Amino acid sequence: MKKVLCMLVMAAFFGCAYQDENVIRIGAAGPMTGDQSKMGIDLRNGVELAVQEWNEKGGVLGKQIQLVPGDDQADPKQAVSIANKFINQKVNAVVGHWNSNCSINASTYYNTANIVSISPASTNPRLTRQGYKTVFRVCGTDDQQGGVAAEFVLRTMKPKRVAVIHDNTTYGKGLADFFKQVIEKKTQVVYYDGIQTKDPDYKAVLTLIKEKKPDVYFFGGVYPEAGRLVRQAKEVGMNISMVTGDGVYDPTFINIAGKSAEGTYVTFGKDPSGLPTSKAFNEKYGKKYGAPGPYSVYAYDAANIILTAFQKTGTTDGLTVADYISKNAFTGAFGDISFDKNGDVTRAPYVVWKVTNGTFVEVK
Amino acid sequence: MFIQQLINGLALGAVYALIALGYTMVYGILQLINFAHGEVYMLGAYLGIIVLGVLTSLGLTAYSLPLSLLLTMLLSMAFCAAYGAVIERIAYRPLRNASKLAPLISAVGMSIILQNFVMLAQGKEYKNLPPLLPSEGFSFFGANVAPVQIFILGASILIMVGLHFFVEKTRLGKAMRATSQDRIMAGLVGININQVISVTFMIGSSLAAVAGVMVTLYYGVVHFFMGYLAGIKAFTAAVLGGIGSIPGAMLGGFMLGLIENFGASYISSVYKDAFAFFVLIITLIIRPAGLLGEKAVDKV
Repeated sequence: MKKVLCMLVMAAFFGCAYQDENVIRIGAAGPMTGDQSKMGIDLRNGVELAVQEWNEKGGVLGKQIQLVPGDDQADPKQAVSIANKFINQKVNAVVGHWNSNCSINASTYYNTANIVSISPASTNPRLTRQGYKTVFRVCGTDDQQGGVAAEFVLRTMKPKRVAVIHDNTTYGKGLADFFKQVIEKKTQVVYYDGIQTKDPDYKAVLTLIKEKKPDVYFFGGVYPEAGRLVRQAKEVGMNISMVTGDGVYDPTFINIAGKSAEGTYVTFGKDPSGLPTSKAFNEKYGKKYGAPGPYSVYAYDAANIILTAFQKTGTTDGLTVADYISKNAFTGAFGDISFDKNGDVTRAPYVVWKVTNGTFVEVK
Repeated sequence: MFIQQLINGLALGAVYALIALGYTMVYGILQLINFAHGEVYMLGAYLGIIVLGVLTSLGLTAYSLPLSLLLTMLLSMAFCAAYGAVIERIAYRPLRNASKLAPLISAVGMSIILQNFVMLAQGKEYKNLPPLLPSEGFSFFGANVAPVQIFILGASILIMVGLHFFVEKTRLGKAMRATSQDRIMAGLVGININQVISVTFMIGSSLAAVAGVMVTLYYGVVHFFMGYLAGIKAFTAAVLGGIGSIPGAMLGGFMLGLIENFGASYISSVYKDAFAFFVLIITLIIRPAGLLGEKAVDKV
């Protein structure tokens, strides 16, 4: 009996340590639990769909592809442990992470381990400006985004007084700072401060902002806070528009804020629904998971870019693949993608959307 | 703006005070910090949104708003009271004579179970409720007092006065006080200890349910993770007022709400949580038993 038990224990040990060398592993990392979990799951689904399509066509380099999900809980500390987990599991490339601070923290580890990582959503400029060869992103950056938002506000609203709030994260504060840099050259910023995430009550700060009588306010942050903020702003009697960034572009924002969301301006990528590739993606994704999230298509494209590069280079070696990705153009569901020397996309990515009758409508 | 912030702070403080009462009552009787209490508040908020949703679809909220609010409140209270009693029965009673650490760990475990139960049953998404009460209230020295704020303040003060009378004047209240002074002695003179403890949990949980429904009306958003921060804040309020003291929990709750609001508006909103904990540390240095707490006397 003891012998059997001993063998079982040993088998369990080796079972864990044993890595099947006959598969290609693609990591998908993002917040899959916690209040931003929808984004992480959208991301994972996008990667899963791409992986499934490749497997149906026979995989890549003669091997099947396996998806390895990693939940970073939108926490940069957790992101590092996910990165280490991926490296230990010999993951060949990573799509992720979602939050900028998570991506930045994890990128150091991926780069050291020569693993290609493509973030579908992290927009803080620092991610691709650390001199890392294997780090890419398929979304825009916050300096572009903040500039687009600020110029839009100056052009259409001609405000005399502007308030700026952020959620004190790498993404939110970074975006708010870029917005502020551009807008304060032309007009007066009467309020600038952070709020706490997770806090349900923003009435104190909103009452204060109302006293300063701004014409418009900008928020750098993510949809759970933005939804509560815009709702409570109406409750304290602020009848001005909120302008915010891509972290708020999700139906959940409108769901939380209800009617108060009307008239909110959000910067996000162009509407891809006119493209036939995008239509095909939406149909396939919709059949499997329901309506795609704002970043599902970005994650899908990122996974396809990685797998295409594996196939074209005939290897999974990080540096060779990274070199191929940076020098070639790809066709994604979201349109053509090519990368500059930093690993950022070359296309001009941001337009302004406005919440109208409960949906986001592109402002022409 | 001062008056506006005062009213915002009082409304927030009333919510903290209601949750803090549950902490302090349980601590008074069992010397146990019931870390699952924040989750009971979250359950109350979810029940509030579910019941109000059902009533809205039945058309009752349009027919009579006060009646449907009362109904929601009562249903949520009853449900959470049942939860409180069951939690006590399965997580704390078997450990009553164990070391003090055991029920504490059991409480943390209960909190995790409830959080994940709601996450699985109700989803990870935020649930929202369209505003039922108008946001435009009446003017009071230049401040806008919203009807929901009046509702929160009025209802919580009414409940606190009721609780005070219950504890001071009724037989069961007397039994509760006796149990908190000396559990074994109270048992010897014929008080049904198990019943008293169950009732304490039920009252504490139904107060948390009231707070949950109020928050649902106030912010209109619920989430399975909301109990965590609210629980910590209310615990802070209970310690600030003196844990074990019922008037202390009320005072602590209101003070915490005011400190947070004034701190966030006059100093910086990034440090909103920090003000509460800063004041707590100062209070504990100067008065370790809290503002209205009594010095612990060794029972002989």
